[in-house]
Amino acid sequence: MKTENIDGSNAIVVHDLSKNYGKDIGIKNVSFEVKTGEIFGFIGPNGAGKSTAIRTILGLLQANGGSAEILGLDALTQGDQLRQQIGYLPSEVHYYNEMNSRELLEYSAGFYENVNLSLIDELADYYDLDLKKKIADLSFGNKKKCAIIQSVLHEPSVLILDEPTSGLDPLMQNRFFDMLEKENKKGVTIFFSSHILSEIQRMCSRAAVIRNGEIVAVENIQTLLEKQMKKVRVVFARETNYNLPAGAQHEKSNGNKLSFEYVGKVNTLLSWLASHELHDAVLEEPDLESIFMNYYER
Amino acid sequence: MNFNLYRKELKRNNKNLLIWMSIVIGFTIMVLAIFPYMAEMGESLAMMLDKIPAELAKAMGMDAQTWSSILGFYSTYYGVYIIVLVSIFTTSTATVILSKEERDRTAEFLLTRPVSRLAVYTSKIASLLTLSVAVFAVQTIIAIIFIHLFKTNDIDWNLFSRLQFGGFFLMLLFTSIGVFLSMVISPKKNLMGLVVGITFGTYILNALGKSTEATEWLSYLSPFNYFDLSISNPGAPLQYFAAFTVLIICAVLLVISYKVYSKKDIAS
Repeated sequence: MKTENIDGSNAIVVHDLSKNYGKDIGIKNVSFEVKTGEIFGFIGPNGAGKSTAIRTILGLLQANGGSAEILGLDALTQGDQLRQQIGYLPSEVHYYNEMNSRELLEYSAGFYENVNLSLIDELADYYDLDLKKKIADLSFGNKKKCAIIQSVLHEPSVLILDEPTSGLDPLMQNRFFDMLEKENKKGVTIFFSSHILSEIQRMCSRAAVIRNGEIVAVENIQTLLEKQMKKVRVVFARETNYNLPAGAQHEKSNGNKLSFEYVGKVNTLLSWLASHELHDAVLEEPDLESIFMNYYER
Repeated sequence: MNFNLYRKELKRNNKNLLIWMSIVIGFTIMVLAIFPYMAEMGESLAMMLDKIPAELAKAMGMDAQTWSSILGFYSTYYGVYIIVLVSIFTTSTATVILSKEERDRTAEFLLTRPVSRLAVYTSKIASLLTLSVAVFAVQTIIAIIFIHLFKTNDIDWNLFSRLQFGGFFLMLLFTSIGVFLSMVISPKKNLMGLVVGITFGTYILNALGKSTEATEWLSYLSPFNYFDLSISNPGAPLQYFAAFTVLIICAVLLVISYKVYSKKDIAS
């Protein structure tokens, strides 16, 4: 994990980017920078504005203010040149139902310069995709595989991924992550948007956190993890007196059962658990909303 | 202009083109093939024409020559069967050529390729124009062949040219209106009813306007009024001013449509 090949320059610079839908705010003053060769996470709950930010950067939505620069080009005005070097994987895949996968991929390749068409078969084998099947007959997961292939077929310098693993089974998710690591080793910058924290943890060294259309933090993943609240549920072997570890809050107890929320170093928590005789212990990853509440409470 | 997109658009519409081409060819052949039988009935038809109310005959563009020459017969049906049908095909294609990508949510795929919205727009309009010209050209060729086959006397090809000339520019006008409508009306709406209403409605409006002096003003509202689709004025020149005006209107509609398209938010 985290095999990034980062150089000092910025591949993506977004500054005060805003998009409104009439009176409703889509995103507001979104700013972040992604270094060349970095795998950068973009995390937030559903409806936080992740897709709106991506779609505005890609020119699908008209920005109401701010700027976005990718590989030194203005993404809002030079998008057509820029997209020659960008691979985009959307969260929801909608293709031409009358085509089969091969036709779709060849059609997509036709927009780019010097595409190696043999990659279509190579990648289809890797992802177990039947290229003869009509798009209309493909499952959501298979459409996603087709989308993955089209996003890398022209060997882009920057990959923009929006909820890339939705619809993929665990085996395909692992193949996908392996492919991303290989692409990143070749120097590809990856912008990885997801609402699944564990994916961001696995792939990224830094992430921007977005909530209600605004960036609430741009953090190293390590810092994000330390701020991450865990839900702890334990069953003591017998009713016992205990002192909660530092960082525990919202304690609830019932006989020999205890639950609380914990923010802090995981080793401290494990030491505390080890010092008690327990029948059971469960550590749960909190939902994203709880993590964001942590940011606001601090 | 992007040729990858242009080719795909032609391929995507080829089934529809073949269906509509068959319909238009069918009607053209049917109208021209009936003529010899009508001509044989000669006098009895002339008597029948006398019994048709003068207003209706004027509205339908019928006069003494109508059924005595193949061109007259062709011109009677040209507006209602040929131009309206061709225009329904080209205009309905125009209403979906851009908006279908939005309705089917494939616009996200297309507009994240390295192609500008201007290139997408021009490629799609070029393919629309190709389809329109193809169906019109095939109709014209079929008409020429079957007029030759079924003619009973010499043909004034200048008259034929004037009919086709008017038809071509009317088709261009309706097609541009179709592109414009697709940009100002939600892509989720089916515009086929509106397309039929506009093409057939303006034809009827012109026919009503021509039927009496009291309703003459109605014909000014119809583009059919500005092209002579009858054979009653042999030797009259082609209507270049009307054609030029149509081209200006088409250009304005297409430029406005592009301005709307270039600023459009593409929904996910």
